[in-house]
Amino acid sequence: MADAIATREALRIVGHAVPRHDARDKVAAATAYAADWALPGMLHAAVLRSPYPSARIVKLSYARAAAIEGVAVVLTAKDVPRNTLATDVPGQTSAVGPLRATLSVLAEDRVRHQGEPVALVAAETLEQAHAALEAIEVEYERTPGVFIPEAALAAGAPQVHAAGNLLAQWRIARGDVAAGFARAAVVVEGEYTTQLVDAAYLEPESGVAWIDGDGVITIRVSTQVIEHFRDVAEVLRVEQNRVRVIGTYLGGGFGGKEDVTVEIYLGLLALKTGRPVKMVWTRAESLLARAKRHPYRMRYRTGALATGEIVAQEIDLLADAGAYAYLSALVLLYSTVTAAGPYRVPAVRAEARVAYTNNPPTSAMRGFGAMQTVFGYESQMDRVARALGLDPVEVRRVNALRRGDTLPVGQVIETHVALPELAERAWAALGPPTLPRAPHVRVGRGLACNFQPYGRIVWLHDWSSAWIGFEMDGSLVVRCGVPDVGGGQASSLCQIAAEVLGVSLARVSIHIADSALTPLAGTTTASRQLYMSGNAVLKAARELAAQILAVAATLLRADADGLELTDDAVVARDGRSLALPEVLRECARVGVPRSHLAVYHAPAGEPVDLATGSGKVFPDYTFGAHAAEVEVDTETGRVRILRYAAAHDVGRAINPQSVEGQIQGGAVQGLGYGLMEEVVVEDGINLTTSFATYLIPTAADVPDVEAVVVESGEGLGPFNARGIGEPPIGPPAAAVANAIADAARVRVTRLPITAERVARALGLFDD
Amino acid sequence: MHPFEYAAPETLEDALALLHEHRDEAKVLAGGQSLVPLLNYRLARPRVVVDINGLPLDGVRADDGRLRLGALVRHHQLEESDTIARHCPVLREAARLIGNVRVRTLGTLGGSLAHADPAAELPAVMTALDARLTVASASGRRSIAARDFVTGPLTTALAPDEIVTEVEVSTSPARGFAVEEFARRAGDFGLVVVVALVRVDRGGRVADARLALGGVADRPVRAAAAEEALRGQEPTAAVLAGAAEIARDRLDPPSDAFASGPYRRLLAGVLGRRALARAVAGAIQSEGAEAR
Amino acid sequence: MIARMVLNGRAREVEVRASQTLLEVLRDTLGIFDVKEGCDEGVCGVCTVLLDGRPASSCLVLAAGVRGRAVVTLRGLERDGGLHPLQDAFVRHGAVQCGFCTPGMLLTALAFLEREPRPDREAIRAALEGNLCRCTGYTKIVDAISAYVREANGDG
Repeated sequence: MADAIATREALRIVGHAVPRHDARDKVAAATAYAADWALPGMLHAAVLRSPYPSARIVKLSYARAAAIEGVAVVLTAKDVPRNTLATDVPGQTSAVGPLRATLSVLAEDRVRHQGEPVALVAAETLEQAHAALEAIEVEYERTPGVFIPEAALAAGAPQVHAAGNLLAQWRIARGDVAAGFARAAVVVEGEYTTQLVDAAYLEPESGVAWIDGDGVITIRVSTQVIEHFRDVAEVLRVEQNRVRVIGTYLGGGFGGKEDVTVEIYLGLLALKTGRPVKMVWTRAESLLARAKRHPYRMRYRTGALATGEIVAQEIDLLADAGAYAYLSALVLLYSTVTAAGPYRVPAVRAEARVAYTNNPPTSAMRGFGAMQTVFGYESQMDRVARALGLDPVEVRRVNALRRGDTLPVGQVIETHVALPELAERAWAALGPPTLPRAPHVRVGRGLACNFQPYGRIVWLHDWSSAWIGFEMDGSLVVRCGVPDVGGGQASSLCQIAAEVLGVSLARVSIHIADSALTPLAGTTTASRQLYMSGNAVLKAARELAAQILAVAATLLRADADGLELTDDAVVARDGRSLALPEVLRECARVGVPRSHLAVYHAPAGEPVDLATGSGKVFPDYTFGAHAAEVEVDTETGRVRILRYAAAHDVGRAINPQSVEGQIQGGAVQGLGYGLMEEVVVEDGINLTTSFATYLIPTAADVPDVEAVVVESGEGLGPFNARGIGEPPIGPPAAAVANAIADAARVRVTRLPITAERVARALGLFDD
Repeated sequence: MHPFEYAAPETLEDALALLHEHRDEAKVLAGGQSLVPLLNYRLARPRVVVDINGLPLDGVRADDGRLRLGALVRHHQLEESDTIARHCPVLREAARLIGNVRVRTLGTLGGSLAHADPAAELPAVMTALDARLTVASASGRRSIAARDFVTGPLTTALAPDEIVTEVEVSTSPARGFAVEEFARRAGDFGLVVVVALVRVDRGGRVADARLALGGVADRPVRAAAAEEALRGQEPTAAVLAGAAEIARDRLDPPSDAFASGPYRRLLAGVLGRRALARAVAGAIQSEGAEAR
Repeated sequence: MIARMVLNGRAREVEVRASQTLLEVLRDTLGIFDVKEGCDEGVCGVCTVLLDGRPASSCLVLAAGVRGRAVVTLRGLERDGGLHPLQDAFVRHGAVQCGFCTPGMLLTALAFLEREPRPDREAIRAALEGNLCRCTGYTKIVDAISAYVREANGDG
């Protein structure tokens, strides 16, 4: 990683907390989100969804609905040109292997979860569309469902799919576990349960589609994956070049807009009617219908020496996939690889399974399987420390991975691991202890560390591309297919381009997320965009700089190596300079392009056999440590977070303000997960389809989060940055559980840690 | 929303005539904070919506030891009105706990009472205050005690053609008060809400105590036995804890997806004790101030 | 039927259906997309407008019931075509990520600061409790409002 520019002092724009270009539009409400779009003659669309978690469709007729005034079209499964949608790896361009995850676009003869789509309607007004939905006659015959993963895997369980309820299974075996436990001074066992969670972004799923010139079906949509244009084409049975997805600035994604949401429905309806169509899900529909984060049941057995050194760990994971596969097999892989934590554990046996049920489907959500396990391994670590009377920072220091260590899966850690420093700094950031404000409250502190992969699994052969060009006046245009979910994805790319090409940020204009007009950048998922598209932009910028400087060198009769692009000019070592437009005119004259397209390929690898622990799974990892100080009301069980600090090694902060924002926002999502969020499902029926029942934290529920940004200068991204989108959501639940254990001497092992669960653990009431 | 007709009468008589005409098919729109969500989600489908916001029902009058509040008094007025704070300060404390700032902008006293959510603040407060509600229909007016007004979860003694027009409470000086609420998240409906009102005599003994609880049954309840146990007692910590236990032990709250009955019962006891303690402290202070 | 309102300082008469909320009319009829649709039940705050100066959920107001009152949306904050200083503070302090909550946050904060010009961080948090944000974790939103308060009060 021999970057020409290695230190922050030498950087003008990268590494500085510059305001984001999109922020100004957003504070003025000038950003046109997907729903902020209307076209003349536009229809309004809605989806009919199954009220039952498991049923056969006996009869479906829509003649009455189609006759309602204003109704343009009603579609059911038989009207879909190819009614099968592949859902295994969104945006994937190379063969994936054994995962074959598909589902029906519209249900055919059977529904497997509440909210499963059954029919589509488009009408002149939304009121008419809703009236039509009610007029569609569906006769269901309820069938027995299964709602608990253990029950789904038991003999005789109702089968959700013909191939059986075990969707995927991964195993890791490394070292001699029995021998490890034999030499352990302490063995700690625990079972941990995590809950079903919703992405709960504020912008519901939404989009508008229309047929553009040359018959191109154009879909302007809130998505993390513009590459879904291919999926739309497959379903519509048109060529892929006849579908264009324009991704809008998103009102939040968090993985919930990684799988297809409205785009296929919109494409179908636009194609059938020939008219523009808009679809915006209601909040209830969003909370009901979209895939969620997997609930896990995790069993841990951990053996440690008296020094705190972990010598053996046995892990059993069971996750609930809900009714369809989506990304469950890969989510489970992330869990399996991270199950033993960011620690050197010589002997590990891990078994992980994910089962189909008739619950809401689960798929990608921030943390992607690597965050549920944090609650398991960090609760265990805290128990080990308590059992041995060790300091929480010390026990992590003793066990922390180091560069060159091998993970249980067989992957060697190739970059610096800052874990001890992160733990120390997060812990220290809590400051002097807070004194309890009343006799009935106790105060305590907890620590939790994590590691989260950034970038896609290496055998997916990930790539991104970007185009950069100068206009004649020296202003710069960046084109990159990156969807901006709100994390400053586009803005960071502008910083990188401006840095390398010597222009001010104000002179950079960026066009993103258009599958027809911007080079494809892959998905805004897996904490990969800064890493992948940042590298693509860096590569494009450097190669463009070389082109331009070569021309400037002839003009200046100087060696190109001695020239620098800075302040909208080319400057030579001897102080002579040329204004950029002058050089650009010369480029035009001699036929040297003023633009450049670059493709960045991530290091690739082949699939590994986990059981033999033979190789690389992810490009690299981001490490973190969070510390919480909590107050526990010993009469009611109420937990209040008094102080919170979150430290991550981001390699290099391209925009420190955006990095802090990711850390603070991720930590608070993690606190919501830890303390209050839960999709409550009873026998397959979702009881939390409103923001009054699905609770996310308000400003009054959480404290300021102190973001501790550590820059080791090592990472695979541009300027040695690491991904920071997902990592901060991992530790909070465990940090809070550990703080509660410290304050009140009780351990809660089920999320969310509600006041009622703490009160029960404290023995304050009998059920 | 399902289509409906909209009427915005300007006099009470016109409003009542409309309700008389449409009865069950009409819905009264006051602050709209409970009705409009139901309309948005098509869960309520009235044929006519009678918007009463144009009626002169927003008066605040204090005289003869009574405070009279029009049904359209908004929560933010309860929060901010000095007249209300002077004559019945517990209303300010309770109003601050209601929903979020937007709910308090539009939500009304009458609407909250008529909606009758078992865990809402104002029904519990009015139960504690022994408020009387004036309700009107085309055939006349009647007065209902707050404790008789709510008849079950989201159901009241209102006939389909009646509306609440006014709420009247007595303004007694030298009374301590407290509202304790336990919500799962800031600004949400409480799992349990407890209202305590206490008056002490010159000797510092409890002259009168009222304890009302919300979220523990299908309607707000008064803890009569606890109130009785406090009367004439010196309000020591042990006495207050004992009274809260008496209140708690008579409850059998329902369980739902968000909290179990036994946990609600625990909260009722703890919040009851805390509310009484704070109300007693306030009562002693104001009795002292009065005596000076 | 006709709904009357003074929208961002200008008297307007709009043809509406009885069943339309103020939110629908602002967005679908008037094309004012600075109010967002988030939950349709007044919980999330993205549809916040100021109604006679107080924050209200435009999703819970029937357009027909506005009755000539003053409605202010975010664009009503513009000062001589430029940003309001609080908007500027949001940009400078990184208080904006996805931006979907931002218009509602700004309006709620300004209405609050009218009544309480020198709040501490805790009071700011309490005032924002009805406006959900899923991205920022709120810290930088509170930073931005605190900085604006300091500047507005001449405390540097």
